[in-house]
Amino acid sequence: MTKTSQRVTAAVFCLFLAGFGLLHIILPDRNFSPVENRNLRQMPEFTWSALADGSYTAALETYLSDQFPLRDGWMGLKTRYEYLLGKREFHGVYFCGDRLISKLEDDSRSEQNLACVRQLTEKTDIPVYLGLIPTAAEIWKDYLPEGADSFDQTAYLARAQETGAVWVDIAGALAERRDEAVFYRTDHHWTSLGAYCGYTALLEAMGETPAPLGTARRAADDFYGTLYSTSGVHWLQPDSIERYVSGEGVTVENVSSEETHGLYVDSFLAEKDKYASFLGGNMPLYIVRNENAAASKKLLVVRDSYSDSLAPFLSQTFSEIHLLDLRYYRTSAAQYAEENDMDMIFVCYSVENFIKDTDAAMLAQ
Amino acid sequence: MVFSSLPFLFFYLMAVLAVYKLAPLKVRNLILLLVSLFFYGWGEPVYIFIMLLSIAVDYTHGRLVERWRENDALARRVVASSVLCNLAILFFFKYWDFIAGNINAFTGLSIPEFGLPLPIGISFYTFQTMSYTIDVYRRDAPVQKNAVAFGAYVTLFPQLIAGPIVQYKSVAEQLEGRREDLEKFASGIRRFTVGLAKKALLANAIGELWDASIAAQNLTVAGAWLGLTAYAFQLYFDFSGYSDMAVGLGRMLGFSFLENFDYPYISKSVVEFWKRWHISLTTWFREYVYYPLGGNRVSKAKWVRNILIVWVLTGIWHGAGWNFLLWGLYYAVWMLLERLFLGRYLEKLPSALRHVYTMLVVLVGWALFAVEGLDRLSMFLWTLFGGADAYAAVDGYHFRSYLPVLVILAVASTPAGKNLWGRLGERTRSVLTPLLVLASLVLCTASLVDASYNPFLYFRF
Repeated sequence: MTKTSQRVTAAVFCLFLAGFGLLHIILPDRNFSPVENRNLRQMPEFTWSALADGSYTAALETYLSDQFPLRDGWMGLKTRYEYLLGKREFHGVYFCGDRLISKLEDDSRSEQNLACVRQLTEKTDIPVYLGLIPTAAEIWKDYLPEGADSFDQTAYLARAQETGAVWVDIAGALAERRDEAVFYRTDHHWTSLGAYCGYTALLEAMGETPAPLGTARRAADDFYGTLYSTSGVHWLQPDSIERYVSGEGVTVENVSSEETHGLYVDSFLAEKDKYASFLGGNMPLYIVRNENAAASKKLLVVRDSYSDSLAPFLSQTFSEIHLLDLRYYRTSAAQYAEENDMDMIFVCYSVENFIKDTDAAMLAQ
Repeated sequence: MVFSSLPFLFFYLMAVLAVYKLAPLKVRNLILLLVSLFFYGWGEPVYIFIMLLSIAVDYTHGRLVERWRENDALARRVVASSVLCNLAILFFFKYWDFIAGNINAFTGLSIPEFGLPLPIGISFYTFQTMSYTIDVYRRDAPVQKNAVAFGAYVTLFPQLIAGPIVQYKSVAEQLEGRREDLEKFASGIRRFTVGLAKKALLANAIGELWDASIAAQNLTVAGAWLGLTAYAFQLYFDFSGYSDMAVGLGRMLGFSFLENFDYPYISKSVVEFWKRWHISLTTWFREYVYYPLGGNRVSKAKWVRNILIVWVLTGIWHGAGWNFLLWGLYYAVWMLLERLFLGRYLEKLPSALRHVYTMLVVLVGWALFAVEGLDRLSMFLWTLFGGADAYAAVDGYHFRSYLPVLVILAVASTPAGKNLWGRLGERTRSVLTPLLVLASLVLCTASLVDASYNPFLYFRF
């Protein structure tokens, strides 16, 4: 190497490392990362005991990593060059051309939770409907890279039909529309169109006619969802969020905060987590009331976050819907249904949440 | 602290280099000692004292050997004492629980097991300090009267955590007489960056394939071999990458360390493999165990015994576990086979076949090394040799996903890159070097930031 080359090499090396080090110190610390959806580590407090047991230096390392300048940019760069090298799975999410599909891992609770549903049917005379929502990994399995494996949802759904609850064939309804946008491309949830499939499946199981889809109104067209965050694949087109139900005359009561609002909470559309604009995010118990509903029926939905976008369609058919999230509202579903004169119980979970859920045990209480 | 981490690269290294370069020559060993203690203490705040104890013990023993040089019997006892002290520390922290646990299992006694975490680098620095006392006794190096210089030798952060094991005699002069210049510094940067890229880009990339394979429920034969290949690459690029970084850092500070790896995966025999893999360890065992036992200048029976001893020790140096013992024995057997008669047949075979033979032996050896727990190991070996389905769709998926990386790794395991680089003109190399260094730093930074990427798994919400 020539002398100049040696000088330049030394300069490049030292300036790059020292430069980013200084930048790190100069730039203010961030509290929260919207892309990663978590709080970022702040400067840890020094104590002699923390130093002695190693926890101080460990915390300092996390702090230095979390607050590294241009953190999200570096993440995206790594994903891009790994993609160039042939990688198609990033942090448990498959990259499938124009969409991201989350990989589903098996879980030991899957059979246990089915047993809990069976116990629920035995505990109450109120009709129990079970609807498990397959994920994009199932409905869009043709998009997955060849040979890529994921939990066998078809087999699981077949087993789920044996619990004794009335089976709601959501998978069938979604499969019919698989070539349409039934799931988001950058988020793990189903779209409003997908939720409509869930709604029609429920009504078919009840032997009734579903309300028509209605016209779509675009609520947002720059939605980057959970899979965008998890995978680090930042180069896809954003999703759009559609609303088919106007929500006129519908009130949503948030029981724990005692607030009432409409079907949609538009303030979330300005944040990253736009999906929470349906109902306002995850709360222990919502009561959705619609005086203009098709029938004067009361429905208890034992649910996860997928029901947030299902609720608007349900509100057209049921005059009162109680949306119960067992993670926060720990109560016996059977008891709640009986105390509140429910006409039907609908256990509605996505497969990915249901097979992992530890609170579904409450169903059996 | 670890070289391939954000705190080391962006804070520690630059701060250390700045202080070191600005300081007058006389103070530099003291600075090295202090920053190295800081480096070590970052990860192991309490175990610094073990290391300081080891330094004190061997510094004293070195002075005693020098003082009693006339009385050979006494001097030898001092050496023995030093060896015993170091081995005692090593034994206590590394092997006690394993030995106690096994004795308890066999005899039903209840010898207490302490469950102490292993002090980082203890296998390296105890061996280094032992080599000091022995080298001083053998007059291969002068005694080091300056405690600071000696302390700097033991704690030197480039090789403290993961080697290479620096024998005292190879750096004795450099402790006082080293000089840095721009050429060494730039060369050190190049070497360091190559090592960093090997670790952060190559080793980490293929490591995921091994993790997926070993965790798989229904591992197939193809999957097992693919996973094992991934492990072989990961281990080599991780370890040799670390050694490259150590050599590079040493050069930046003015030291010349010996090479630890010499393209081991191009070897055509097991004997050759061990001349190219973890050279500093095999050298250490050869100098301080094999030759004192008589090496190969003894009867055949004793020679076989010597080989067995050295390889069993090499095996268990890597870890306190039966699989490591097996791994050492495995290589003892192959070394003996090759030296006794196989070697002659091998030489007659075409080199491609010899290479395939060596790689198969090495790969199976890695299975013994990588899979801890005898039942997991036997299950894995069973799968490897046909006791499962041949092939599954997921193996094709893994193969396709990792093929470009595997090709790069295979080429990088040979001197092809080095040869190509050598054939470029000096001007081309001069232009390319800073560019490649920058590109590597950028990609490695991306990789290291991503390693800390920890999105809150939103799915439950």
